[in-house]
Amino acid sequence: MNIKKEKIGNFTVLKIKGRIDTIHSSALELEVNQQFDSGEKNLIFNCSGMDYISSSGLRIFLVAQKKAKAINGKLFLCDMQPAIQEIFRISGFSNLFRIFDTQEEALENQ
Amino acid sequence: MGNSKNKHFVIDNRIEELSALAEKIDDLAKKWELSQALAMNINLVIEEAVSNIIFYAFADTDKHEIRILISLENSSLTIKITDDGILFNPLEQKQPEINLPAEERPVGGLGIFLISQIMDKMHYSRQKNQNILTLNKSIS
Repeated sequence: MNIKKEKIGNFTVLKIKGRIDTIHSSALELEVNQQFDSGEKNLIFNCSGMDYISSSGLRIFLVAQKKAKAINGKLFLCDMQPAIQEIFRISGFSNLFRIFDTQEEALENQ
Repeated sequence: MGNSKNKHFVIDNRIEELSALAEKIDDLAKKWELSQALAMNINLVIEEAVSNIIFYAFADTDKHEIRILISLENSSLTIKITDDGILFNPLEQKQPEINLPAEERPVGGLGIFLISQIMDKMHYSRQKNQNILTLNKSIS
């Protein structure tokens, strides 16, 4: 798994590539925590390269959303592969996040 | 006549083993010409069940074997996971409330639920000192 960061307008975009599983989820958690700790309030997760997620990965997104809500921040997801969308749907996570088809659409909500 | 395929994996109770196992399952899915989405779901179900076993099944620090059998008969996929840990029936786990808002949603408790949503049938049995979890899904 690797994460590319880019500051665009009021958002930091985290582009995730690879697997978010039991072994790799802690690296994502660390990155998210660093973003909030450094004062970032608005995050977009670009999930185009994310090809696997398990419950340990879902957990990181939920914790991030709780933190974002607590500071009135924005946390958006975009560009998810269909198999990943399905995992979000069956776990009820589709209702916990605003999920956009493209990064451009997410960025329109500054 | 039917068409039956089987593949056995044995891993130790170390979480690092999951990476190599995931690669082997991806290779198997290619060999069996399964879709990428199904390969992901097989990996997901096995990761959830096996990580639970590794984290919670063993009170000692000894090495334990976890056995995984994947079989495909016509369009019926079966995954059987066997361990010699403490008695644990995943079918008795409390179901998460998946309609709560993020602020109220508890963190965790999703692994077994995901298995139950992805697979059609879950069966648990305790035989001698072994937990045997059998999962089935029709992939037609």
